[in-house]
Amino acid sequence: MLDVGNDSREDYLINILRLSEGGTAVGTSALADYMGVSPGSVTEMLKVLKREGYVNYEKYRGVSLTESGYRIARDLRRKHHIMERFLTNVLDMDKDNAHEQAHIMEHAISNDAAERICRITGTNVDPDCATCTDPCTDSVSPVSISISVVEMKVGDSGIISYLSTEDGSVARKLISMGFVPGREVELTSVVSEKGARVIRLGDATLALDRNMASAIFVDVR
Amino acid sequence: MIGQPNVGKSSLFSRLTGIGVISSNYPGTTVEFDEATVTMDDVTLHFHDLPGTYSLYANSDDEKVVMDMLRDSENDVILVVADSTNLESSLVLTIEVSELGIPVIVALNKYDIASRRYDVDIDGLSRVLGVPVVPVSSKTGEGVSDLLHAIAGGSAKVSDYRVMYDGHVLKYVEELMRIDPTITWGQAIKLLEGIDLRIDSVSQEVKDRISEMSEEFIGIHKEPMNMHLARDRYGDAHIIVMEVMVRKQTEPSRKDRISEMTINPSTGIPILIAVFLAVFGILIFVGDLLATLVDDAYVAVVGSALADFGYSAGGELGEAIFTGIDSSISAILGLVIPYIMLFYILLGVLEDTGYLPRAVVLLDRSMHRLGIHGNGFIPMMVGFGCNVPAVMATRVIRSRRERLILCTIICMAIPCSAQLATITGVTGKYAGAVWVLAIFAILIALGFFSGCILNRFLKYEPSNLAMELPELQTQSVRNILKKTWLRISDFFKLAVPLLIVGSIIIELLVHYDLLDSIVEPMSWLTVTLLGLPAVTIIAFIAGILRKEMSYGMLVILAASVGIEDITLFMTAQQFIVFGIVMSIYIPCLATMTAMYRELGAKDTVLVSLASMTVAVVIGSIFNLVLSAFM
Repeated sequence: MLDVGNDSREDYLINILRLSEGGTAVGTSALADYMGVSPGSVTEMLKVLKREGYVNYEKYRGVSLTESGYRIARDLRRKHHIMERFLTNVLDMDKDNAHEQAHIMEHAISNDAAERICRITGTNVDPDCATCTDPCTDSVSPVSISISVVEMKVGDSGIISYLSTEDGSVARKLISMGFVPGREVELTSVVSEKGARVIRLGDATLALDRNMASAIFVDVR
Repeated sequence: MIGQPNVGKSSLFSRLTGIGVISSNYPGTTVEFDEATVTMDDVTLHFHDLPGTYSLYANSDDEKVVMDMLRDSENDVILVVADSTNLESSLVLTIEVSELGIPVIVALNKYDIASRRYDVDIDGLSRVLGVPVVPVSSKTGEGVSDLLHAIAGGSAKVSDYRVMYDGHVLKYVEELMRIDPTITWGQAIKLLEGIDLRIDSVSQEVKDRISEMSEEFIGIHKEPMNMHLARDRYGDAHIIVMEVMVRKQTEPSRKDRISEMTINPSTGIPILIAVFLAVFGILIFVGDLLATLVDDAYVAVVGSALADFGYSAGGELGEAIFTGIDSSISAILGLVIPYIMLFYILLGVLEDTGYLPRAVVLLDRSMHRLGIHGNGFIPMMVGFGCNVPAVMATRVIRSRRERLILCTIICMAIPCSAQLATITGVTGKYAGAVWVLAIFAILIALGFFSGCILNRFLKYEPSNLAMELPELQTQSVRNILKKTWLRISDFFKLAVPLLIVGSIIIELLVHYDLLDSIVEPMSWLTVTLLGLPAVTIIAFIAGILRKEMSYGMLVILAASVGIEDITLFMTAQQFIVFGIVMSIYIPCLATMTAMYRELGAKDTVLVSLASMTVAVVIGSIFNLVLSAFM
């Protein structure tokens, strides 16, 4: 976590994460639009974040997160989900209000505390809140929650968030075929509920059986 | 030559070397590597065509072949075959190979298609990767000679491209290279992914340090290092593609819509059924038509020339021998050209259009009942041609259990083209087409039961379907004909000489009155149980050598007792029983050898004995039932 008092930097990181999943760099003007601030202040902040090692940034080539920046942004997004879920489901708060509160709390709460709260809501703790059944939403833009390819509907597309399987060889096979976090996938056809899934990955079309497809978790748009 | 499955590596290999390699539009055509030598610009080039591999990971047997080759061999240059219509994925393998520090040259295959969809900056790509990039099309042959010149001219380079890996990883790499200075940068990266590409393995100290690093890495990044490294490579590949390729405006073509229909279950399953009805319909009806044509042509061209020659060379014995040869050759031609060649042309069309993988996906669920996955469908389909490559193709399936089930089904229930030809061209011709359908029904039931039974008794092992669906494409007639010739040339090269030898032996046996004493001890089987002439045992034994020889031998045997019209030799009922036993009993020697390599001696013997028993049991039942009603 960044030092206390750095909420605004953390906001930048989480927003760069939201815009950059898929591996492409984010343009500064797109980021400025998304956050509702001037391009000038975005540039200033990016220089600071670059110096601190959280982003890769070059003029005209856009910005992307470094590993440490990515880690922080991902933790923040998770904490945001957990808090919003807690506020709406346990405290019965309305969504917009909960979102605003969660936005403040995400910067203040420790990982440990967030995980304990997550357990109160009855779900397991995982890096992307993939097991949340009732996804909390972000009123600026919907923050998606990863679902497995098996739960996707035909026509859904999104970014691979992570792979989860007990069988190491399944994960290796998937990685080697290009099912790598950050890449875009689209579910083009389902042969049958228990049958194969046909998936568009980059320029290739691939078919996976249900078991393999269930190991891929996607942030659906 | 290295490349991902489906990038057209085998067809580029045969373009480069002018050597026939069977290339098909699905993974696993090349399970062992092929070699060829070419001389270009006075330089002798040895090519090794490695099996398709998605990445350097050693997931399956064929990928292990690639790893062993990279580890042991003294390759001067690695020719990476990339698919320019799916560049991002191909670049990941290119980057992985480049990291190994061996000179690399990249062939950008399918460029004829890609250049219609994208503007590709070839020089830019070459600059970024630091290695020469040559656009080629293995389909049209464009760029192939440029590629050969580039290889022969020594333009391959060691790439200086470095993936932007995570800082921790770079620190680990430096540390490993410090502990053991013989470890190269590329080897260190692979070691961190859990793969040892070195000839002599690394010290215990290095191994211990690597496992510490892996744990530390998961602690920090919450994901395993191999996934992280792969992700970094895809990230880089994505950026490179964004820089060098610009998509031209295209609208979804008619091909895309047809492609969609073949995989969508509501339209795909009717299409699947139609395709297979068409294949077997063509085989039976067009095959029959061709058989008549071939027979007429043979009579017109050869006539009684062979028999006359035999008589002039060796009197009556000579004439008998040559009459046998004559009729068996015409019998073989009558089977091979109409049925076997036709089947391979149809299989070639199905393969090259990219349709087969779609059938695999549609059939995946239904095949689970037999304890196998959809990818077992391709070996089964290939098995309708020849069981040998079918058994070899089971190698792409990881689970040994599934391989055993598949091999059993292939040997017993799937008639190879020679058996198909016997069923349609012999039983069908002399006993009626309805019996062809009856035999097919029995075989389908047999395949289903043997699959279900084995599925129940063998311990379950998970195996997973993951298959790339190639784009549907128009096919090169040249490739299909070439493949068909490669696949059937053996029939002429091996079967005809064997038949000539067989014919001589049989005639000599008849001449010296030895035939009866040889076939008599087995008459309990042929005559008592199956109700066939005692001499058919010779045809069955010949069928163990090569299936298409059975009928050839039958004709020779009939000729040896002075019967030229085969319908006087056996009745319709006997042709039915003969057809059934022929299509089930014992795999041919070549198939047994292939099975021995894939499954070992014990299972090969078991499968062979089982098929033998089943064939005799079903044959006897048919004999009894038919005798009662006919």
